[in-house]
Amino acid sequence: MPEAVSIRPDSQRQVRAARSSKGSVIEVDHLVKVYGGRGQEEVKAVNDVSFSVGEGEFFGFLGPNGAGKTTVIKIITTLLAKTSGTVRVAGLDVDRQGADIRRIIGYTGQSIGVDGELTGRENLWLIGRLYHMPNALVEERVEELLDVLQLKDAANRRAYTYSGGMRRRLDLGAGLVHHPRILFLDEPTTGLDPQTRAAVWEYLRRLHREENMTIFLTTQYMEEADQLCQRIAIIDLGKIVAEGSPAELKAAIGADIITVRITRDEAFQQSRDRALEIARTIPGVSRATIFDEGVSAYTADGGATLLEVLRRLDSEKVPVHQVALAHPTLDEVFLQHTGRQMRVEEVKPMSRSFGRRRR
Amino acid sequence: MVTDVGHAQRVIRPTRDAEASGGVFTEIGLVTWRSLVKLTRTPVLLFFSLFMPLIWLVMFSQTFGTVFSSAASGGFSGTPLPYDYVAVLLPGITVMTAIQSASQSGFGMVADLESGFMDKFFVAPIHRGSVLAGKLLADGLRMAAQAGIILGIAAILTLFGWRIPFATGVVGAVLITLLAAAFGVAFSGLSNTVALRTKNTESTMMVSFSLTFPLLFLSTAMLPKALLPAWVQTFSTVNPVSYMADAARALILTGFDWTAIGNAFVAIAAFGIVLNGLAIMAFRAQGK
Repeated sequence: MPEAVSIRPDSQRQVRAARSSKGSVIEVDHLVKVYGGRGQEEVKAVNDVSFSVGEGEFFGFLGPNGAGKTTVIKIITTLLAKTSGTVRVAGLDVDRQGADIRRIIGYTGQSIGVDGELTGRENLWLIGRLYHMPNALVEERVEELLDVLQLKDAANRRAYTYSGGMRRRLDLGAGLVHHPRILFLDEPTTGLDPQTRAAVWEYLRRLHREENMTIFLTTQYMEEADQLCQRIAIIDLGKIVAEGSPAELKAAIGADIITVRITRDEAFQQSRDRALEIARTIPGVSRATIFDEGVSAYTADGGATLLEVLRRLDSEKVPVHQVALAHPTLDEVFLQHTGRQMRVEEVKPMSRSFGRRRR
Repeated sequence: MVTDVGHAQRVIRPTRDAEASGGVFTEIGLVTWRSLVKLTRTPVLLFFSLFMPLIWLVMFSQTFGTVFSSAASGGFSGTPLPYDYVAVLLPGITVMTAIQSASQSGFGMVADLESGFMDKFFVAPIHRGSVLAGKLLADGLRMAAQAGIILGIAAILTLFGWRIPFATGVVGAVLITLLAAAFGVAFSGLSNTVALRTKNTESTMMVSFSLTFPLLFLSTAMLPKALLPAWVQTFSTVNPVSYMADAARALILTGFDWTAIGNAFVAIAAFGIVLNGLAIMAFRAQGK
């Protein structure tokens, strides 16, 4: 257990070397985590996961509850031991150089880990001092953070009096006191109201843009991943099922969807069958299917194909009731890769979950 | 110094490679500071953790005082004693208070594990041992303060006719305080082990509390050995509480009994190493 706490020159050199020689700052290779054993049923929470995150990248892990997101983030942040595979952060190995990793990362967990009996200011001060920063510097940084996170007015109040949003901001601040090079956020906006969520998003964007901070985030909100992340890995049942930028992922499912609703008359069935035939002959339509009200056509270029679809249906006298063009969402990406709809379950903030129970 | 240059506007200024400040003692000090601040902010808890032992002191000494006196004069002493039962009981109450506080030691651990605050400690570049050491130090200081206050109040009671000899004066009282704190810290290991293994407040409470009374009553904490039944006498020789109580009682009734004090520290050390060893193992197993 006892790892050196003082910042040794050699570890600094390693960090610097890793930073200059390689593009990726997080490298996860064939990571496996098995919970249980010794009489208990074994559960493979993480099943052969590999990915890497580049320096300065905003990377997201998207998946439902129980997908293995928290397990992965806890392994990377040295909070949890892995079963097998290799994990390197800034070129440092999680097993052997945990202490060096802890010095350069910030972590904000899923459950809000602020001390309710301490004031907001004291919470931040304590964490800063635990990072071995000189007192004067900690005090300066704490004031800056209180300001940025809009907690200045409440700074001398005990944290248990804070609202959920304030506690979340304070918790985020605790992960930033020592100005980490890489920030890890485990579902940072779960349980927040939309306004607070938007404010947290804005602050994260600023951190990423202005500080060039590498941010690794887990979320079960499609919108959050779409809004914030440059690259996403979709994780389900302990496996990565898709990876890429939000645009790439959406493009990969056959791009846009044209929905044609057919007028409900006595010839509806025939009209719909005719429409399906027509849609399948149009160049650019990769796939066409019927649904209860009409026909869906998948295409790479919705705008151009839509015109052609309408022209052909009109010339063939198919009675069109309504037409819609939709761009795919990450929901559809998830559905495509897992065959299931992603359900968002709110996590109780005080749920009794730590270590082996959390995954 | 590695610094990122080229960012004109900063959300917060970088100190990622700030000069390291403070070593392992700073870490322990910070954890201790936090525990003590929390303690002082729950005055109700603080009050009752002192109030209860005092109630016990008065209640027991009043209820059993006359029985004890007659038993003593008829039995092991033969003559009326120059002190009241409360003088015999006082060391028992100090150790009882320490045990009570020690039983609660794990509660904070469970709370920190549940709230996620423990992750803050674990993800910081500090020794894990500092977290446990800091908590134990805070516990020890609290127990010393409690023992000191109980002894102080007992001293005040002598002004009202209660016969407590205080044979070794202030030095003896300080020694008793140290013994009580050391004993409490040793016993905290049990509560912390259960807390870390079960991560459950109720279990922690049940295990610790169910051991508290057998340990107290099957020892010489409440009565001198001569007045205990034979089987309890036998058990009391392997009960560390007895050694602690005997040493403290000698300090109050007779004088510096260095053999008893030595035995007490050996018993506390052995007890403490075993229980806190288990706690350290449980602590290191977190996240494994």
